[in-house]
Amino acid sequence: MILDLGSEAKEYGREALRAFENAGGDQLLQQAEAKRDTREALVAPVLDRLGAWDLDPRVDRDGLEAAAALCRSAGYWAVPYPVAERLARPTDLDVDGLLVVADDTPEAAVAGIEKRWAAVTLAGHRSSVAGQAAAGPGFVAALELSDIDGRGVDKGAGDVALGLVLPCWTLLGMLDRAMELTIAHVRLRKQFGQPLASFQGVQFQLTDAEVERSGLDILAKYALWSIGSDDAFDDALALRLAAIEAADVVFRVCHQLHGAVGFCDETTLSWLSRYSQPLRRLPLGLSATRDHLTRRLGRRGLTGLYA
Amino acid sequence: MDFDMGDNATQLRRTLRGLIKTHVPDDFLGAFTDDPADLEVAQRFCRTLAEQGLLCMSWPEEFGGRDASVWEQTVVREEMWAHHEPRGAQYMGVNWVGPIIMRHGSEEQRRQHLPLIARGEVIWCQGFSEPEAGSDLASLRTAARRDGDTWRVSGQKIWTSYATMAQWCFLLARTSKQEKKQQGLTIFLVPMDDPAIQVRPIRAMLGPHHLNEVFFDDLKVTDADVLGTVGGGWSIVQDVMSFERVGIARYARCERLLAAAPSMLGDRWEELPAELRGRWTRMLTHCRRARLLAYRVVSLQSSGRIQPGDAAAYRIAVTRLDQDSAEVLMEIVAAIPRRDRAGLSRGGAAAEYFRAEVEDHWRYSQASTVASGSIEVQRMLLSRALLAAS
Repeated sequence: MILDLGSEAKEYGREALRAFENAGGDQLLQQAEAKRDTREALVAPVLDRLGAWDLDPRVDRDGLEAAAALCRSAGYWAVPYPVAERLARPTDLDVDGLLVVADDTPEAAVAGIEKRWAAVTLAGHRSSVAGQAAAGPGFVAALELSDIDGRGVDKGAGDVALGLVLPCWTLLGMLDRAMELTIAHVRLRKQFGQPLASFQGVQFQLTDAEVERSGLDILAKYALWSIGSDDAFDDALALRLAAIEAADVVFRVCHQLHGAVGFCDETTLSWLSRYSQPLRRLPLGLSATRDHLTRRLGRRGLTGLYA
Repeated sequence: MDFDMGDNATQLRRTLRGLIKTHVPDDFLGAFTDDPADLEVAQRFCRTLAEQGLLCMSWPEEFGGRDASVWEQTVVREEMWAHHEPRGAQYMGVNWVGPIIMRHGSEEQRRQHLPLIARGEVIWCQGFSEPEAGSDLASLRTAARRDGDTWRVSGQKIWTSYATMAQWCFLLARTSKQEKKQQGLTIFLVPMDDPAIQVRPIRAMLGPHHLNEVFFDDLKVTDADVLGTVGGGWSIVQDVMSFERVGIARYARCERLLAAAPSMLGDRWEELPAELRGRWTRMLTHCRRARLLAYRVVSLQSSGRIQPGDAAAYRIAVTRLDQDSAEVLMEIVAAIPRRDRAGLSRGGAAAEYFRAEVEDHWRYSQASTVASGSIEVQRMLLSRALLAAS
């Protein structure tokens, strides 16, 4: 068994981390929030230089791993650009990216990004994005969709898994960063004359968050490996369920341990936390994701040792 | 990446399931019940495994093993625990007592103990915990004092699983008082049939044989009974812990029971509240998470890159899974009708057994965050690793 990304993918992820940092790091998101229409100009050149669009995650396993590593690095810096969605583009449509959307309220965090988007529901129904409504928090905009394959035709079912898995890697990168920031904070911040890190109540909260983060790490790798298999969709949904749960726990703990300063925009946590919301709520939030997976599993359960 | 264990592991899993089906009764709930026949099932099963070269397959060839891969060892752990550990108490001798004797024992100790373990003929118990030394093991008080060429051991152990049935005890005792409490500790290998040892069972919700008190009243042992060196016990304890890093494959039983639940409930499955079926789904993802975290620990350990925090995160995840899944399963089996007044099963024998399995799982799960290193200790290890690494 090989339970980790290959060394080339990991190196590519590290290269991307450095590239995003050199391009402005945390400032990228703050600049994009101030001027929404600069998202493309701020980030696309970095991704071009990284050769992101040469990756072909749908047909090449090395490219798949590299794409995942890139998404994780983008998440670490909360890069204000739909990297995962662009990498998930289907091979049989002439589009720039793929958005997995809910049936009834199709939305995505693509405000200000003028690209040719395809959208697909969890059932595999494909549309092209014909327009966007005014954007809300987190660059989220309601989408105006136009059928690609005709009503009742679900040609995109095979595209959904990757469209779900890569954004979970972005979210994982955000959790990596949130934990890193929080660990640094509790080591530095003193109360009652000692660092917060010396209090067992603080230590134990950190471990709760780390169990979630490290669990998500290994599930993300498993679901990535499963792409292309018969179980890929179920595995992607299971990952997504775990990712949302993990994000809930990690951000709750990180906010609590940061205290009031964590809500202030002078701390990165404040930005990470609120820009994690679209990844956690779209296309479906925790309860709806669990319901959807439960309906799909029926009586058979997830593939594992005994099913 | 590749999450496939490989053909050898798949074949071994098939073999083990076949042996369990053939040699373990359908209503088996482990060796530790009030029915002595259950213990006999386990003892026979160990001999069967030994005859087929499967009992000690993780051992090196020179000691009668097969040098099985870490993934084959993982399959054994999973299949045994998933099916109520049909090796009974002998898993301990196989998993770590034998390997520790290989590593630290004298030639005479190896000759005396290893063949018995390999043939499936001996049960060991672990004399570690004491009334005043649980998680803080090094504070133990059981003492061995020099008496000419011999040692005299006096003290009390507690929570000693299988002490009533064990032939040998892996005993940790204080042989001298040093600056640090971890110093001056020594391991002795002692026979449990010595009249200076008294065992008192403690009745408990986990069932008989799990919890016992063991009293040592001036037990005479010799230097030949010392494992390793006098005063070198703590490093052996650390070694024991390293064998137990992955520990019991709790996730395997959780997964088997959760996977079986829909068919056991039959038409009633769809009548369960949607919220409960949603919790079942959540537990399945948590089973997968714990299993994959276990595999990561196995992989890191086999490559020598393991850090204490790696195993601790897994242990926290798996022990909480054990308890959370037990609560979900208990709620699910409540939908299975109980026997009527005449004692007849109204849900079918298989469903009846399933409920018994789940109730057994629930009782055991209560101890999972306490036994073999409490969850608090795991959290301390993990937080130490997190705070030290950055």
